[in-house]
Order: sequence, then C-alpha cells, then structure tokens
Amino acid sequence: MKFGFKYIPFLLLVLLLVLPLALLFVQWLTGKEGMQLFSFIDRAYLLLMGKSLLISGIVALLATITGTVCAFLLYKFQFSFNKFYRVALLLPLFISPYIFAVAWKDGFFWLLGNSATIYSEAGVIMVHTFVFFPLAMLITGTTLSQIHSGYEEAGLMTVSFRRMMMKIVLPLIRPALTISFLLILLFSLSDFSIPAFFGVRTFTTEIFTQFSAFYNFPLAIGQSVLLLLVCLLLMLSEARYLSDAPFLSVSAKGSFSKKYQTGNRKVLVHGFIWILLASALLIPVLMLTVQSFTGRTLFFAEAWELIRPAAFQSVKLAFAGACIITFIGLWTAFVKERKNQKLPDLLLLLTFIVPSTVLGIALIRYYNHPALNFIYGTSLILLIAYLGKFGFIASRIIGNGIKQIPVSFEEAASVAGIPSKKVFLKISLPLLVPSLFTAFVLSFILCLGELGATMMVYPPGTELMTVKTFTISANAPEALTSSMTLINLGVTVFFILLLFVFGKWMFKKFQYV
Amino acid sequence: MSKHKKYTKQKSGFGCHLLSLKSFIQTSKIIKVIIGVAFIIATGCMSNPNEVTVYCTVDQVFSEPILKDFERETGIKVNAVYDTEETKSTGVMNRLIAEKNNPRCDLFWSGDPLRNGILQTNGISEPYQSEQTLLIPDNFKEKNNHWIGFSARARVLIYNTTLIASDSLPGSVFDLTDSRFRGRFTIANPLFGTTTFHMAALFVTLGDEKAKQWMNDIKTNGVVVATSNGDVKKRVMNGELAFGLTDTDDAFEAKKESNEVDYIFLDQQGNGIGTLIMPNALSLIKDSPQSENGKRLINYLLTRETEAKLAESCAQMPLIKGTEVPDNLSSLDNIKPMRIDFKETSDKLETIQPWLKTWAEE
Amino acid sequence: MYKITLENITHSYGDKEVLQNFSFSFQQGKITCLLGPSGCGKTTVLRLVAGLEKPSAGMVKINGSVVSKNGEILLPPHQRKIGFVFQDLALWPHFTVFDNIAFALKEKKEDNIKDKVTELLDLFGISNKAPKYPHQLSGGQKQMVAIARSLIMKPEILLMDEPMANIDIQLKENILNHLLKIHQQQKFTMLYVTHDHREALKTGDEIIIMNTGKIETAGTKEEIRNSTNSFLQFY
Repeated sequence: MKFGFKYIPFLLLVLLLVLPLALLFVQWLTGKEGMQLFSFIDRAYLLLMGKSLLISGIVALLATITGTVCAFLLYKFQFSFNKFYRVALLLPLFISPYIFAVAWKDGFFWLLGNSATIYSEAGVIMVHTFVFFPLAMLITGTTLSQIHSGYEEAGLMTVSFRRMMMKIVLPLIRPALTISFLLILLFSLSDFSIPAFFGVRTFTTEIFTQFSAFYNFPLAIGQSVLLLLVCLLLMLSEARYLSDAPFLSVSAKGSFSKKYQTGNRKVLVHGFIWILLASALLIPVLMLTVQSFTGRTLFFAEAWELIRPAAFQSVKLAFAGACIITFIGLWTAFVKERKNQKLPDLLLLLTFIVPSTVLGIALIRYYNHPALNFIYGTSLILLIAYLGKFGFIASRIIGNGIKQIPVSFEEAASVAGIPSKKVFLKISLPLLVPSLFTAFVLSFILCLGELGATMMVYPPGTELMTVKTFTISANAPEALTSSMTLINLGVTVFFILLLFVFGKWMFKKFQYV
Repeated sequence: MSKHKKYTKQKSGFGCHLLSLKSFIQTSKIIKVIIGVAFIIATGCMSNPNEVTVYCTVDQVFSEPILKDFERETGIKVNAVYDTEETKSTGVMNRLIAEKNNPRCDLFWSGDPLRNGILQTNGISEPYQSEQTLLIPDNFKEKNNHWIGFSARARVLIYNTTLIASDSLPGSVFDLTDSRFRGRFTIANPLFGTTTFHMAALFVTLGDEKAKQWMNDIKTNGVVVATSNGDVKKRVMNGELAFGLTDTDDAFEAKKESNEVDYIFLDQQGNGIGTLIMPNALSLIKDSPQSENGKRLINYLLTRETEAKLAESCAQMPLIKGTEVPDNLSSLDNIKPMRIDFKETSDKLETIQPWLKTWAEE
Repeated sequence: MYKITLENITHSYGDKEVLQNFSFSFQQGKITCLLGPSGCGKTTVLRLVAGLEKPSAGMVKINGSVVSKNGEILLPPHQRKIGFVFQDLALWPHFTVFDNIAFALKEKKEDNIKDKVTELLDLFGISNKAPKYPHQLSGGQKQMVAIARSLIMKPEILLMDEPMANIDIQLKENILNHLLKIHQQQKFTMLYVTHDHREALKTGDEIIIMNTGKIETAGTKEEIRNSTNSFLQFY
C-alpha cells in the first residue's frame, strides 16, 4: 500500500486546526452544560441576531457598491495614476479596523466638536464600509479584468457603452458581486472591535460579554455556534460561486479585458477617487498624525522604542505564517482543482468563518496539555491561528491560478513520460508563481495586522505590534498611542510597497503567456 | 526512450512495491525531519527554570517597567500577557480558567481583587504567605492569603476645568442624579473593570434596591456610558463631557497630558460613604510550572521600592507604611475609604451582573 | 449598401506599427477578402472599420461620411449598422442561443423577434439549439450562431474575422453557401479576413493581399490568380 507524503498536509490540517474546533464543539454538545444547547435561543437573541444581520447587510451593500464602482473605474478605464490608486485604495483592508474607529472618533470630535454621533449603528456602518470596500474592489476588479474583450465588443456593435455594461458585463460579474457581498457581510458580522468601541450591541459583542464579563463559556460557545451556523448558511447559499468564482485571481496570462478612456470625465473620476481615498485613508491617518503632535511632548521616539522589538517579532511571525499558509493553500487548491478532493478546502472555509474568540478558546483547550507545550507555549500556536484565519483566502487565490493553467499542459508532459511529481515541479509550479506570490503577500499583510485571534493565544513574553499598540493604548497619552498606531501603519505600508515592487519584477519574469 | 521504459516498468507488479518502498523511505525522511524540528522546538520551549509567567491586567504602560526591573535585578526572565478593559476579548481571565487543568501562568497580577476572588472560587489560586505579605494590612488581603493587595487606586471624579468650576462639582455619587448635571457626565461600562467593582461596592453598601434606584436615576439623568475608564478620561480631556468617574491612575495621566483637567475624591463628608479604594492584587496560581519564581516575584512586588515606583508613575497609593511618595500624591490616610468586605463584594458582583448587563444594554 | 474607404491609415499598438499608410476603398455590396500572414494587420482593418479602434492617423469613411479620423471615433460602433463575427466568436456565455441572436432586436425594441430569430436559425439548420447555451454547442454550431447574430439586424456592412477557422471542410462549405446566399439577398458590403487562399478565391469578389501593414497587391479573383507579384507567389 502506498503511503504518500501527499497525506501529510491533510493530516496536519486536521490535527492542528480542525480537531481543536471539532473537540470544542463536541465538548459543548455533550458536556453537562449541554442543556445550554438551545436554551439561549429566545426572542431577544434572535432579535439581536436580526439586528446584527441588518447592520452587516447594510455594510455589505454599501461596501459592495462602492467597491464595484471603484473596480469599474480602475480596472476598465485608463487614466493617469491608475495603478497608484489601486494600491492606495487597498490599504484600508490591511489596517486593523480598531485604528479607524479611534481615528474617526477623534475626527468627528475635531470636525463637529462632538463625537456622540459616531457612537451609533451609523458609526459602525460607516467605519466598516470604509474598511471593507477594498475587498469588493479587489474581487470585482479581478473578475472584470478577466472578461474577454470580445464579449464587450460584440455588445458594442449593437448597443451603447452604458447598455453594454448593464446587459453584458454586469451579469457576467454577478458571481463576484455576490461573493463580495457575502464575504463583507461575514467579516462585518464577525467583527467585535468596532461595535464594542462605539457601544453598539451586536451578536458578537454579546458573545464577548459572555466570555469576558461572565466567563460563561458554554453560553458563549453556544452563541458562537449559532453565529457559525448563520455564517455557514449564508456561505452555502452561494457555495457554487464561492468555490468556482474567479475572485482574487491573478491573471498569469495578462488581461484580455477591454479598457476604455475616461474622455472628458477625467476630473470627475479623479475627484471621486480622491474623495474616497480621503475618507477611507487620509482623514484617519491625518487624525492620527494630528493626535501624535498634540499634548506636551512628542512621543515618536518613545513609540518607536516600544514598537521596535514587537515590529521585528511581528514581521518574522507574519513571514513564517505566510509561508505556511501559502504551502497549505497550494496543497489544498491543487487537490481541489486537479484531484477533485474538496474536503480540505471546505475545512479551511469552516475555520475561516469561525469567530476569533471561539478559535482562540478551541486552540487553548486543545493545546494546553503538557505533551503539547511545545506548541502552546511557543509561536507555533499563533501560526496555527493564522492558518485558520487566512488559509482559505490563499487557497482560493492559488486555486484560481491553477484553473488558468490548461490541463493539457500537464497532460502533454505526462504523455512525454515525465513523472507526476516532476510535472508539478517543472510545469505547474513555475506557472503558479504569480498566484503563489500574491497569496504570500496577502497572507503576510493579514498576519501582520491580525488582532482578534492573536490576543487570545499569544504566548507570554511574545511582543507583537498590534497587540502592543492595543494594550498600551489603554492608559498611555493619546499622542503616544497615535504615534504607535502611525508607526504600526508605516511598517505595514513599507512592507506592502516593498512587496509590490518585488511583485512587479516577479510578474514580469514569470509572465509566460 | 530509456526514460520512458523506466517509467513504464515502475507501473507494474514488483515495480509498484518498489515505488511504495521508495515513497515510504522518502516519507520517513520527511517525518524524521519533522520530529527532529519538533524536538528542537520542544526542548527549546519547555519551561525554563529561569523564567516566570505573569498574567497582568494592570495597564501595560505601568506594569511592564516594574517587571523589566525585576528581570534586570534577578536575571529571571518575565513572560507577560497583558490585558486591559478595552481588550475584553482577550480576557487573561479566560485563559486562566481555560488553562485550569494545565496552568501556564505562575502569577496573576490584577488591578483589583475581584478577579482574584473568581480565581479562588474556581480553585485556580493557592494561598501564599511570606515576610513581605505581612507588611500589607489585613483589610487589603484575602483572609486565607489567596490574594494579597498592594499599591491602591481610588475611584475619583475627573473633571474638565473649562466646562465646570470646582465649586459646582458633585460632592457625592448621589449628586449625579441632580438634574443640573443632566447629560454632562460619563461612567465606564459597568460590566468590566473597576467600574464593576465600584457598582458591586455600592450594591453592598446601599443594598440592592437603593443601588438599582440610583443607577436607574443616573440613567434617566443622561449618563453617557463610555467603553472604559480610559475612554472616560479621553472624553473629559477632549471637553466632550464635563466630568466622569474613573480611577486615580487615569486621572493622574490626564493631568500630565492636559492643564484643563483635575480630579476629586467623592463622598468625603462626615456622613459620606467614602471613596472606593482598590488595591492591586496578586495571586499565586496553583500547580504552576515555576511556582518558586512566582513567589519571588510576589515578594519583589510587595516592597516599598515597587510601591514607590507605582506611586510615581501612576499615582497608586502605597499600602506599606513608610513608602516614599511624590508630594502631589494623596495618601490613603487622608482619604475616607468605603468600608467594604472584598469577598462579599466579589460575591455580590456575580449576582448583580445580569442586572448590570440589562442596565448597560437598554 | 455602404461603401467603405480607408484613407492613409496608420495605426499602432503601443510602439508597434501594424498599418502603414493604408488606403483602400471597399466596393459597395461586394465581398472583399483580406488575405495575408498572421500579424499583417487584417484584423486591425476590420476593427478600424467597426470603430473598435481609433486610427492613429488617417480617416475611415462610410458612405462618404467620416466616421473615424486621427485618433477620434466620430460615429460609435453601434450606429454604423455593422455586423461583426469575431475570431473567437464572442458568444455571450450567460445567454442562450436564442438570446444571443435576439439581443440586438430586444434592445432596439423591434417587433416579431421570435419570427426573425427562428428564420435565421432555420436557415442555418440549428433551430433545435435555440434554448441551449454556447458551452453546450459544437464548434461549428457556435460558428453558425455567431454568424446569425451578426446578420439579425440586417447590417449594411458585415465584417468577418477568420470565421471558418477550426471547422472541417464540409461544414465550411455548408456555412459559406448559406452566407453567400444571404449576401445575394441582402447585398451588404462584406469584409472577410482569412489566411486560407482557397477560401478567399472562392468567396471574394475582390481580394487584398496584405503584408506587414501594407497592401502587397489587390484585385479581382482572376487578377490575383494571374498575378506575378513575388510575395503573392511566395505566400
């Protein structure tokens, strides 16, 4: 019997990540607190879930519309600074939402003399929309750039540009719109930090209250399971699009897409993008900068001293996390696309939608055992948490890269007598380099900024950038906190730009088709 | 041609086994590497006798320097996990409870003794007594030494001097129901941190009915519920609100940052209920990996030197007699304290929490 | 029936010049085949006529009116009464065969859509494919749908970019026969790009031989057959 090393990634995935969650669920179901199973589902909780869904639904709608408009402008039209705008508008996605909440609260106070307005559902919706619209832009833009120009040109022969966009292009990108809406809905629904900061009661704040104020684990886990089921239902409703839609795809072949000129609407286009940039990025950054210079002392030097060791540690961990995520993502995507084994991808999807606190508790309960101290007491547990949070995204990016490689490429090599391992290494892998790089970069940036699960499981003595900024901010001078946040932001942007430059070279070198 | 032939051969009978064996050997190599790496990590990451692990809910900006000093002076590496009111989602308490059967933490350093009470109830802490613990007055220790207090904070009223004159300030928490203060003041979410402690203390002092009435009255009077004491501080400093209830360390920080804030102690009149005094509290964790180092750290923290540092950095009032304090720091001797039993307050907290939740959310 | 004139057209994609000072008048109501090796600019000529490209320099006239010139499109594609069969067919994947063909009629709010579409489908013998999606068709069937779509609005100009690539000879003959029959009836001006000289000689009233963005030679079938042009001989 063949014992393939191909099973090792699956075993790792199950043993390291899936089993902790499964065990938590089983313990909750079968424990003496199991009577909590459905007892908490009463009218009040269902109403709260409804309220949370409504808030997140509005966020998803606004963010998808905004992101789609940006995608159309940036991916279908040619104008100056287009590429700069694409990168700049992506930045809010990589920054911790909490930072935006703090900055906007101060912004409102500076502009209006009163920040009471933002402490509301409207405040949550506003900040979430600004944070998540780049996701819609990325997903829709990628899809738009894969629409063959022939479809549009055939339409242009018959109808005007506007009608063609409505009747031909929009239906073709419907899967991308659906996925954007769904993912943003899930992210918004699962976020705790913004609603908590603005004092808005949602289902997730309720879960965290049970964890952190009442230490009522069974109830909190039960509520998390309910949230998980809702998320799962939403995902399954569009499962076919989620698994097959070419979102977050990297076109190794180069774009077939038709590009248009803005004509005399150039000023309008630039104006719209700058307004969005200002709202989503520049105003928060400005507020943080202004705050950094208020007060009696300048704190940048002190902030840097505090952040520096944490920054190095964070970068190292993010790098390691990105490597593992890309490796597992590659394996998951490959077995799904080429071997039709969908289970690993589904498992990553499930861990992706689990709320951070539940993931943290599951990992703590599973790994807090003398035999597993080498994981629990080290950064390995963080890497496992990162895999759970971001593995699915990497799997999808690479999966779409694999889809773009015709099977005939690999078949031609097999027919020539090349063993399958060599076919993978010599044929498939080089063609996948752009996708792998993109998955790596995205994972790196997301790991660098991750806070929710990290706070739960980071080993004592580990200094991480986001955690340090967050905990110091509790009672540090505002200027110090803002300085630390700016440095945090600066480090993230620095690496995004570095990887962007490297990526340009990489894409040029590996653009075979 | 020969390459192709070789490939074909591998497909059949004996060749199949050959492939399996080769695969197995290769797989074994990989497994050996993984085990080796895991071993290195494991041996590198087993609990080091020269380390101590602390879970700390005192603001990192104040506690970290103290722990670093301990590290420097003793050579024992301190591994710390920090928590604040804002980071409700962390909950070092969650970790401690989840880790009950295999504790990783040696010492729990809390900003108030209520959390330590919960640990005691859950059988997570163990008693500890030493020469240093004897320096602490009995009313600031658990009677069986499951937690030992030191360096106390007090609840204060922080106010913005440009928005309200000092002679117009409330003199008691009960004045917060006065309509002239309507919508002008703030307290932190009573479900978390020292505000919970404060509310529980009020419930113990006044009785459930009066305490609930008072809370409902301040709600009617437009109290703004902030997310944390830090948030109370910021809102008063910014001038959004005239005053708010917070702790001495927050108020002290605010005074350092701005000339426009000051603070007072409430209920200091002759018939007043007094101000809540909240000591830091240390609990040794039962069956922890480096219990001895945990004890060393407790003894280090329970010294005049440590209390002096905390007095300097965040206006925490020493409990050990003879500790040097800055001139501008209030002494406990000059503050009328609220007379409460910490155990009773801790028990009360657990019973009133559901009501507090409803109050906070409506 | 429209006459198409290209005057001194120079066109580049980036820094690659694909047409050099190209001038030609395509006869009204006639079929002109553009023949030449890959990359010689044949498709570019079609795209310029369609208004899908702006000429870097020069003018495109349809029936004497300037429709594009010197980097500007003066008359958009959908107003030029042109049918276009693209090289990769460009059948919309989310529309059925019927909807692909009927799309233009629906947009223009024409009457008797069903009858008109069915008539064309019958002509090509693919009526039973009406409810199918493009991915459910064979290569030849897709070709026929693409041609039917280009003809549904009774265009004055029909542009075909290698429409018979990847089709077997018998089917090619069949489709060409249909096409020529329709051309007889409707008399549109047709530009037909191919690199199959036999196809060109069978189909075209006039043939242009192109090479590296220029016209090597042009003439009727007989003239081309008898031509001693060295490139033509070589090609």
